[in-house]
Amino acid sequence: MRLSFVGFAWRNVWRRRLRTALTLCGIGMGIGAFVALVGFSRSFEHAWLEMYENAGTDLAVVQKTFLNTSVDQSIAPVLQRIPQIAIAAPMIINMMAVTPEVNTLVYGWQANTFEFSALNILEGRRFRDGQQEVMLGELLAGSLNKKVGDTIDLQGGSFTVVGIFRSGSALEAGAIIMPLDQMQSLSGMSGKVTAFHVQLKPAPSGVSPDQWRQQAEDAVSSALPGLRAVPAAERAANNQLVILAHAAAWGTSLIALLVAALGIANTMAMSVFERTKEIGVLRAMGWSRRRVMTLILLEAAALGVAGGVVGVALGWGALHILGMLPQTASIVSSTLPLRTLLDGLIMAILVGVAAGSIPAWRGAQLSPVEALRHE
Amino acid sequence: MSDPTTTPRSEYLLEARDLKKSYENGAIEALRGVSLGIVAGDFLAITGPSGSGKSTLLHLLGGLDLATEGTVLFRGQPVGKSQNGVAAIDIDTYRARWAGFIFQSFHLLPALNALENVQVPMLGTGSHRRDREERARALLVELGLEPRLRQYPNQLSAGERQRVAIARSLVNNPAVLLADEPTGNLDSVNSAKILELLAQIQERHGTTLIMVTHDLNIAATAHRHVAMRDGRICD
Repeated sequence: MRLSFVGFAWRNVWRRRLRTALTLCGIGMGIGAFVALVGFSRSFEHAWLEMYENAGTDLAVVQKTFLNTSVDQSIAPVLQRIPQIAIAAPMIINMMAVTPEVNTLVYGWQANTFEFSALNILEGRRFRDGQQEVMLGELLAGSLNKKVGDTIDLQGGSFTVVGIFRSGSALEAGAIIMPLDQMQSLSGMSGKVTAFHVQLKPAPSGVSPDQWRQQAEDAVSSALPGLRAVPAAERAANNQLVILAHAAAWGTSLIALLVAALGIANTMAMSVFERTKEIGVLRAMGWSRRRVMTLILLEAAALGVAGGVVGVALGWGALHILGMLPQTASIVSSTLPLRTLLDGLIMAILVGVAAGSIPAWRGAQLSPVEALRHE
Repeated sequence: MSDPTTTPRSEYLLEARDLKKSYENGAIEALRGVSLGIVAGDFLAITGPSGSGKSTLLHLLGGLDLATEGTVLFRGQPVGKSQNGVAAIDIDTYRARWAGFIFQSFHLLPALNALENVQVPMLGTGSHRRDREERARALLVELGLEPRLRQYPNQLSAGERQRVAIARSLVNNPAVLLADEPTGNLDSVNSAKILELLAQIQERHGTTLIMVTHDLNIAATAHRHVAMRDGRICD
């Protein structure tokens, strides 16, 4: 193998194989946690966006308050009178236990809502308003082993499965959909809904879609003080479940990354200490402080990159498992988004360089004579 | 022996002017005012007992360390610290470009083979890979190590290791070669071979050679020698 600066750095890292392997495990766990958790939360957000996009939802009308938004269903006529709005469909979303182990998202829709357009009914039919009927996403139907005609117990009530559907969004594929009135009664939300999902009329000529949507948002705010209309993408990114998922994912990941950084810092500090004499030789051969520092930082970055690759593989594996578990399959897709993969690798390199910077600086400060005398 | 006070300064390749070096806030004085001039192509031996300051002087002349007081001049230009408004040569650049080191205990890097060890100084200056390899290979062949190019330090004999170290010291084509007890870890047969090799290199490449030794027989192979005692040149 020919000698290069990068190759030299890698050989230095690989000289202490056991220590390097253990350090890589530490970094791998940290990056793996980052990839799995942040990937999970992003996949959750993406599933929300897919749900809105597939149904053709342009806006969601919600309360201005952040938590537990609840809107009077009686405002429907007011919304329908807003000139930009074509359809305003009331809906409820909630999480319910279908077995002691499995919680799933449950939607309350009206039987004639436009949101059915995103669903492909595989078996049975659409439910009817006012009936104790439900439709199951195919993922959930598979994991619960339910088919059309079976019954399912929810919050003490018995519901007949009248349809099995397929959806492009993981949030629907693993969910239950039931009549809005039944959901209101199950949730104790009589006359209330979580939100109205709105489809806009086509923008007239001379008005851009963004301007048209903005006009609709302004009209909702002025017609219904206390409510606001948010674009589907914003609703997907900023709903409370997604925000909490992001916060938990980043918080936990940062702790794991900090532990990984300490592992690299320890390895690099040991490595610099053990190679003090060698650093003295490099300095004696005319290597500048900057060159020595670059070498050590490169070694730390190499550890980060290798640990990052291990971590991405671990994180992807964890996501895959989460995507298969009945408890989480309804809210996560097992695919690893490219952005999360790149973020994981970049994070690994940054952690490596940051953790290696103090050992690198200390190594570069060594006087050649003192370093050569080191035993 | 040349005397820097009588030889015109422009003739010196390397010059020490009243060098003092102390440690621990002056408690230990390793050099107490050493002045010395070395012309290009010279082969100088510095002798003296342990603690006489000969290695310290070599380190200062080679830019491995800076003097507490006094100046080292290379071709009339101060090394490391500017003096009287004359800009200094950067000390790293001086070591990389103009000085080559040979150590008693070789100091080869264990993770690299002979060919790669010789390239290390050029790796520090960012030289092109092909140039590095060609130069290192040529030097090792010249020093009789062609069959050992891919061997690692722990696979080489002591004499071979020192020859690799000599090749490494020459790879950047230095003006001055500084050897600190280069035969100190060798048996008498290998010592004689290395000394002969150094003399040949000095003659063939025209490199100025400064060698520290405590052995007067070895010092006798040099063109001239200075003896040190208690941090001063004593003859």
